[in-house]
Amino acid sequence: MPEQRKTFHQELDEIRDDIVRLGALVGEFIPRGTEVLLANDMVGAQLLIESDDELDDLSLRIEEHCYHVLALQQPMASDLRSIVTGLWLTGELERSGDLMVNVAKGARRIYGVTLDPKLRGLIERMSEEASRLMKLALDAYAERNASLGVAIDDIDDTLDTIHGDYIEAIFESHATHDIGLQASVQLALIGRYYERIGDHAVNIGQRVQYMVTGWLPEQTGAARLIARRSLAAEIGAEVSASEAESGP
Amino acid sequence: MRQQYTSELEQLALQVELMGILVDENLERMRTVLSKGNLSIAEEALRVDDRIDAMNVSLMERSYELLRREAPVASDLRLIVSVLRVTAELERIGDLSLRIAKLAPEHELLTRVPTAFDILETLAGHAVTQYRDALRAWSTLDLALAERVATEPEVALALRHLVEALLSYEGPDAVVVALRTMVAGQALDRIADHSAVLGARVRYLITGDPDHLAAEVR
Repeated sequence: MPEQRKTFHQELDEIRDDIVRLGALVGEFIPRGTEVLLANDMVGAQLLIESDDELDDLSLRIEEHCYHVLALQQPMASDLRSIVTGLWLTGELERSGDLMVNVAKGARRIYGVTLDPKLRGLIERMSEEASRLMKLALDAYAERNASLGVAIDDIDDTLDTIHGDYIEAIFESHATHDIGLQASVQLALIGRYYERIGDHAVNIGQRVQYMVTGWLPEQTGAARLIARRSLAAEIGAEVSASEAESGP
Repeated sequence: MRQQYTSELEQLALQVELMGILVDENLERMRTVLSKGNLSIAEEALRVDDRIDAMNVSLMERSYELLRREAPVASDLRLIVSVLRVTAELERIGDLSLRIAKLAPEHELLTRVPTAFDILETLAGHAVTQYRDALRAWSTLDLALAERVATEPEVALALRHLVEALLSYEGPDAVVVALRTMVAGQALDRIADHSAVLGARVRYLITGDPDHLAAEVR
């Protein structure tokens, strides 16, 4: 294989590794933010907000790297999809990190408020579920597992159900005057941040499906068949291209 | 050959605008459904969304084709990558407007708390204005407008008032009213947010300034 081609694939690997690293950072943010919220930990809140700079910096570097590769190389179809998927994923991950920063800021606003065990339990469950979804989405990406990617949408239903129970619990606590109006509002907003992380995980899963198969969730039956056929043709073309490259 | 490539790029940008107009029309339907709960308009919005999705797919394929065939650099590369990112935002905005259209059968629940309903309508107006400004910035490559949309402050305060209004309501169906109203409120908030991202994308397209790329990463 010619040297330039090899370098190009190394660049692709670097982009993928960086995205996995960015995902791991976001994965750490979720339990950390929840811990800050449940423990009323103001120092932890500040540290988490500051760590977001690191996450922003990495996602910007990945994005620039993607542009660089697009501009200097002539990627083939499937590689092109990987690079564009990289561009999309940095956006999804970076925004997920921002949502946990919002949780930390919300924790500051309700400093000193005691949460009853039911609410605490539901917050923990939302956090675990959001973490699990994000991890599955990143596994799907790292393993190029399209079936897992597309399944995340269904798995996300659990988080939506817990979120519904959580809103109900806020109403109960508010009605019995256990928590005041402002704290209830903050808690309701915090719940939506977890739900949105779930949405981002679903989006990542769909992007992975696209990266691997070349079709989007918006494409229905017939369109998928056409996309599958053109993917088969594309793989055929790439195989012959790489055979030509490695030829005499 | 070169001339054909230039005209393909122009066509691409124009098609994005057309997709944007379809999304705009669906946002208008969403607003009607929100205020009146009209079922047939909600169904129409669902149908149009299929066309939006089809355009998204076709624009993506054309962008890939150009990237592969022309190996563009500098501003052409920025344009094509911007198309890929902008269409993804448009598609998402379309989906978010459908979340509200799908609430049509339960519209009465949204009107149960008048203060909350007022806030929803205000949020809808704000989201549509933000979106239209973003689309106009794309069509006219208006840097000042793109800048304004990109830096528009978030509407978190309105959402806070929305939740406050919902918590003050004490009917037997308070929880279901709150859940449905929040679905609508959050979708509207996110339409405005995605419009701001659109503005930021247009700004980067015009200036090519990496700092503007950085500014998107908030």
